[in-house]
Amino acid sequence: MKAVIIGGSAAGIQAAEELRGLEPQAEITVISDEPHYPYSRCLISRHVEGKLAPEGLRFRTGRFFEQHGINGWLGSRVERINSEGKTVHLADGRQAPYDRLLIATGARPFVPGIPGLKQGNVFTFHSMADAEAIVSAAQDARQVVVLGAGFAGLEAAYALARRGKQVTVVERMGQILPNQLDWTGSAIIQSDLERSGVRILLDNSVAAVEGSDAVSSVALTDRSSLVADMVIVATGTRPNVELAQQAGIATQRGIIVDAYLQTSAPDIWAAGDVIEIDDISTGRRLCSATWVNAILQGRFAAWNMAGRRRLYTDAVGIQNAVQFHHVPAISFGQTLVGADSAEDFEVMTLRQGQVYKKLVLQDDILRGMIFVGDIAKAGFYAALIRHRVDLSAVKQRLLDDDFSYAAVMDLNSFGQKNPYANTDPAWESDAFWAQRAQAAGIIR
Amino acid sequence: MKRLSVRLERCTGCQRCEIGCMAEHAPGQDYYTARAAAAAAKAPAPITRILVESGGDGRAVPLVCRHCHEALCVSACMSGCMQKDPKTGIVTNMGHEQQCVGCWMCIMACPYGVITPSQDVAVIGGSPFAQAIKCDFCPQRDTPACVEVCPNNAIEVLDD
Repeated sequence: MKAVIIGGSAAGIQAAEELRGLEPQAEITVISDEPHYPYSRCLISRHVEGKLAPEGLRFRTGRFFEQHGINGWLGSRVERINSEGKTVHLADGRQAPYDRLLIATGARPFVPGIPGLKQGNVFTFHSMADAEAIVSAAQDARQVVVLGAGFAGLEAAYALARRGKQVTVVERMGQILPNQLDWTGSAIIQSDLERSGVRILLDNSVAAVEGSDAVSSVALTDRSSLVADMVIVATGTRPNVELAQQAGIATQRGIIVDAYLQTSAPDIWAAGDVIEIDDISTGRRLCSATWVNAILQGRFAAWNMAGRRRLYTDAVGIQNAVQFHHVPAISFGQTLVGADSAEDFEVMTLRQGQVYKKLVLQDDILRGMIFVGDIAKAGFYAALIRHRVDLSAVKQRLLDDDFSYAAVMDLNSFGQKNPYANTDPAWESDAFWAQRAQAAGIIR
Repeated sequence: MKRLSVRLERCTGCQRCEIGCMAEHAPGQDYYTARAAAAAAKAPAPITRILVESGGDGRAVPLVCRHCHEALCVSACMSGCMQKDPKTGIVTNMGHEQQCVGCWMCIMACPYGVITPSQDVAVIGGSPFAQAIKCDFCPQRDTPACVEVCPNNAIEVLDD
């Protein structure tokens, strides 16, 4: 079997690795338009901050392709997919015939139509190339303006503040991280960021970026202006669907796939930030742009490409973990429930200083969570959401300090081997108490 | 594939497994000195990687890492440091080419809540990052410390 994978980030690399394990004889080619050895996009802020060298961003070893016997075509751009002739055509004239194809082309930064974004020292924050350009420009830059207080924007802002730059983040909405956190959670993270030296302007946006040749200032919609010698645009991403569209594959915002991650075209699958998924926590279709979802989709797509049918279900689109300065935060699932929501949600919250916890329930099933300041056991709550565990029996204890997996262990093993399975069936019988007394050294 | 198994009826909730775990992972394998040093430096106390929690009916339940098949913490790890050893089956984020950067994705992923964030300098060592702390099956020992210190043999190692 000849397998071709377009895209060399999370979904593409995971699929290649998985496919090699399933199909030792297959000829596997990974094509990436980035010249860098596969690296973790999520770590570019650590490079900008100066904590990780470019090699430190690799999420597999530096010999991944050799070790797995996979062809790695780096710095190679795919021009079009011929789905009838089952061939991928590259911009440099090369061709890659395939039996099975995976499209894992990811997303790219969305750049809004603000005047002046075409000049020097304006960057996006999405790739190793962006990070390297920012690092080199940061040597002379002193004042940075970041457009957008989403994840990428705040990561960039924090990293540059740690390098001693004066950083101002401009956000259109009334809070930071508007897609991830509610108002209370975002206020805690905002004050944590501000203590690290980042300045944040809310309810404001950039009208124009000014300068001759390179940025000199930024005009805001409230008619004030900021002196700036570097601008970072972090206003969201858009899926790279063009290759799929040209090949006649069904797309909307992202590529449409079935429950086996197959596209509308025969022998073509898709995974990662380029696809739309059904989010079980909100019941909506969305493009997730989350590392763990891309990895899982890469794995499941590889199984299906190898002919081992594997259903991709229970995806949760919103899942984020973050710690900019001192305060960690995790948000998972349906957390943004408006007062005007027609649906019947129940919200539980707990607030103690820097610690804020919020749980969103519907019909005694957990739909979403926000943990700020104390993130211990967050994954357990996330599992309750993914597995839709009926919590009616333990609802009053959900935010107790001692509430843990132990309280629901009899309800759900979350799909793994149960370490408690060999517990004596005579548990709590007379023989049990005799044994327990003996174990505790009590002689009767 | 190695994993821990717990005989719940033998657990009295004495938490010696927690102390044994913290001792094993403290500098010089000395829990009390590590705890005193942390308190003196106003640093976080040592962290246990096995947690004795209370079950629904009040019984004590040692929560252990299951070293899962297709572990979610491994899938979630964006630096690639969380790996499952293909031979032993042990899942750990330490001792690999990639390093833990404290992104907390694994904490968000682990269904059993047995990975803990640590800002503890003694644990972080030379790393510039906070670290995720989890069961590493005690690489310096033949048998994990929690198994050895349990007075009631409630915890055992399975290899299946």
